Amino acid sequence: MRISKTLNFMLLVLVLCTTLMPVASAHRVYLLEQINEVQIKSWYGGGTAMADADVEIYSIKDGQEELYLEGKTDSEGMFYFTPKLGVSKYRAVVSATGHSTDKVIDFAGGMQQEEAELPLAMRIFAGFGYLIGLAGIAMYLAARKLKNEH
Amino acid sequence: MHISDGVLSSSVIIVGFVITLVLLMITLRCSMKQSDVKEQIPKLSVMAGAFFVASLIHIPVPPTSVHLILNGLMGVVLGVLSYPAIFIGLTLQAVLFQHGGFTTIGINTMNMGIPALLAYGIFKIGYQKGIPLVLIGAISGGLAVFISVIFLAMSLITTGEEFIDIARLIAITHVPIVIIEAIVTGSVVAFLAKVKPELLPIDMER
Repeated sequence: MRISKTLNFMLLVLVLCTTLMPVASAHRVYLLEQINEVQIKSWYGGGTAMADADVEIYSIKDGQEELYLEGKTDSEGMFYFTPKLGVSKYRAVVSATGHSTDKVIDFAGGMQQEEAELPLAMRIFAGFGYLIGLAGIAMYLAARKLKNEH
Repeated sequence: MHISDGVLSSSVIIVGFVITLVLLMITLRCSMKQSDVKEQIPKLSVMAGAFFVASLIHIPVPPTSVHLILNGLMGVVLGVLSYPAIFIGLTLQAVLFQHGGFTTIGINTMNMGIPALLAYGIFKIGYQKGIPLVLIGAISGGLAVFISVIFLAMSLITTGEEFIDIARLIAITHVPIVIIEAIVTGSVVAFLAKVKPELLPIDMER
């Protein structure tokens, strides 16, 4: 009778111990996500696809950039690559006959938004603004020179 | 035609800037001697504006895309001042259109500006030889683009490209531009000769 009471108590302690520390005995597990394929597309201003352009993909790990793979875009300016397991940041460089562009692709931080750009009409307008300003400065200097001569 | 940032090696970029700076000084000095610069300012601004927006007119030529350059027209109308005008136009294109790059402004000005100066020379010589204005205008306009293609190919061989391959590729894709610019320059010259001949580098006494 006494022995069974002690046994019961010990069992209770054991049950309490296991419920209170459930994780401690488990093995630590890891998980690595993998994106199968990254698709990039590049085009010239005006909308024409950069076909048959050289592509260089650099993997970025701990701030270290290294050439991962090289290739060429297809006729639609598309290029596909399989990322390395565990590396989620890449820099893609696309270049053809002196044209070149690059973009950092980061899966972990989400896709970066293109920085907001002024609409084209506004940029043309701005360009003419600069030109008129420059002409104004030049004319002012010329006028001052003329005044000094008199 | 515009080389982007990150394509050329730094030594080529520096050479481009040095040559462009020297040519800017020479052409400005030269134009000051030739005529009153302040009378040229409105003309210079209008032409720089035309050059600035001309690059937006894209023509898709597979596998790439080309655009108008107008450097021949700049050379014919502005004379030596075409070099500073192209420099201003390219700077604005780099700032506002991300067309070309900041580091390549020097070499790009060289590639488009030197052919403009040559177009001016060809136009003057052709005029003295008595070739009709429309024809010599068209020749100057087309040839300026063609010389630019050669310059561009020469800049790109420094990146390890084969000269013949790259020159052929750029030349073929620029054939439509050469034709369009020949027509544009020829007709602008014909129009100016009729309406305002003093804008052209020709002496009216003849």
